[in-house]
Amino acid sequence: MTETVLALEGVSRVYGEEVQVRALDDVTLDIRAGEFLSIVGPSGSGKSTMLGLLGILDLPTSGIVRVRGTDATQLSDAERSRLRGEAIGFVFQQFHLIPHLTATGNVEAALLYRGLSARQRRARALSALEQVGLGARHDHRPVQMSGGEQQRVAIARAIATEPSVILADEPTGALDSHNAENVLQVFGDLQSPERAVCIVTHDLHVAHAARRKISMLDGQIVADEALAPG
Amino acid sequence: MRRFRELLGVAFSGLTSRKVRTLLIMLGPVLGVAAIVAAIGINESSKGHLKAKLQELGTDLIVVNASSGLGFGQDPVIEAAAVARVGRLPDVVAVTGTRQMSDIVTVPFAGAEDYYRAFPVPVIASGLDLPETLEVPLVSGRFLNDFDESSGARVAVIGRDLADEYGYLRGESRTIELNGVPYGVIGVLDYVLLEPSMDSAVFMTFTSAVNDWDLEDPDPSRLYVRAPTNTVLVAEEIPIVVSLGGPDGANASVPTDLLDAQSQVDESLNNLTKMMGGLALVVGGVGIANVMSISVIQRSSEIGIRRALGHSRGTIALQFLFEALAVGVLGGIVGAGVGAGVVWAVADARGYTMVLSVVGLVGWALVSVGVAVVAGLYPSTKAARLEPLETLRLG
Repeated sequence: MTETVLALEGVSRVYGEEVQVRALDDVTLDIRAGEFLSIVGPSGSGKSTMLGLLGILDLPTSGIVRVRGTDATQLSDAERSRLRGEAIGFVFQQFHLIPHLTATGNVEAALLYRGLSARQRRARALSALEQVGLGARHDHRPVQMSGGEQQRVAIARAIATEPSVILADEPTGALDSHNAENVLQVFGDLQSPERAVCIVTHDLHVAHAARRKISMLDGQIVADEALAPG
Repeated sequence: MRRFRELLGVAFSGLTSRKVRTLLIMLGPVLGVAAIVAAIGINESSKGHLKAKLQELGTDLIVVNASSGLGFGQDPVIEAAAVARVGRLPDVVAVTGTRQMSDIVTVPFAGAEDYYRAFPVPVIASGLDLPETLEVPLVSGRFLNDFDESSGARVAVIGRDLADEYGYLRGESRTIELNGVPYGVIGVLDYVLLEPSMDSAVFMTFTSAVNDWDLEDPDPSRLYVRAPTNTVLVAEEIPIVVSLGGPDGANASVPTDLLDAQSQVDESLNNLTKMMGGLALVVGGVGIANVMSISVIQRSSEIGIRRALGHSRGTIALQFLFEALAVGVLGGIVGAGVGAGVVWAVADARGYTMVLSVVGLVGWALVSVGVAVVAGLYPSTKAARLEPLETLRLG
């Protein structure tokens, strides 16, 4: 039995006080090491809310979020931030690179405050950029790169910390089909027995690149199915 | 320590990526610290200058001016008998009287009539002890003596500036014409700090003034009195001794007191400048808070991504606080440098000896750091409170 890296246990998330919106309703989900899964659903189905909770960027109204077995809802902000930095890597639709930093600087930002020397940080950042095929562009700023390259820098940033799970929010949403295919290929290559990859998307083509598909509707999981290799 | 270095690195990278904005927010601390350092430095340098001046003049010199008595229409004078009475006061060691003559055009050399008619040099009838009383030496020759006084010889001593204008050579035998009457120049008096007008004056004996210029009596209108002990008391006694209840009056003052008073006025002016500098620092602080708050909004995406990367709220707050700290440190250093430069320039222009306290420079630079850190508290807290989910705009 492989280790559960992320788990939602009876999680609900309600927004608003006077007018309440139940974005997630009593959801339970396990993500295990080595899994490549996708979360799909139409707009408003709760998939982004779920991503925020899985990434402990947000806390549930009720229920428990476990990261590597630790109940993240019971942690202080500093402890939760440390756990997030160690266990989870993020890739966003809009890349979210820091514009004044080079590719290396952006990847190094994920390695700050971890007791690493500047030399160690740089070596790990360069290694991550090599992994996504951008070793030669390490000193370029985001503005000097194409969308696909920026997204690969974001992926390098996500894997530089060697997290247990990578959470990706519509990672191909801002890319043309050629770059989208390249980025999907990189995600496929990231799969390893120790690391889970979870992609939130509304694009079924992207969803079917995964081995497991979670379908959501109205804040609930309506289907959890294994997919055959494409 | 490593964490501290990393935070500094992130802060500097944030500041250097927006150089113009950083320069603009640095202006407040720079101007504030520069104004305060300059105000204090100029004040101290000028005080040092005044102190030197006071020491040079001596604090025991009293200047007595005749004031109008009942004789309207006449220039007020102090009678010779009154001068003698002042000289007999117990604490007085030297007294000399002077009287400025009028309607005399001095022509030091031929062809200069027009110029010296337009800009006349002062002609002063003087007692014989003027250099001793004022403690001013002669740069050449000798001062007027008893023989000159008793014989009514047409001799004159000139001030140092006039000698320079005149092109007078040391020991040279020259004459100077007063309304066409030639006077032999017998000496040159050094600079008189107390009376700069004497530097371009011509001095003659009272006998010459009476014989050649129709002065009715050899009475001075001003006395210089040297009283090394009880100076203030003597200054209070002199008007009484001069008038003896009669119509002649006199005002006595100690010029060093006036200089002291002048330094007090300078002090008030400098306090005002210091207050304005303090105000500039406060306004600078508000500027830092304002610009950094806007910057937090502009950089919300960066804050969101840093939170996603595992940076805690505290770390984000420290990052922005370190940016404010860096602005304060740089602003303080540059401000102290600019202030010191202003002090140097002013001291150089006015001939002061530059006085600048290193402790003061460091102190005011630290105040700038303090202001910047306090100003950075609000934007830092604001940055730390941003919810990552709101700034990252998922899906």
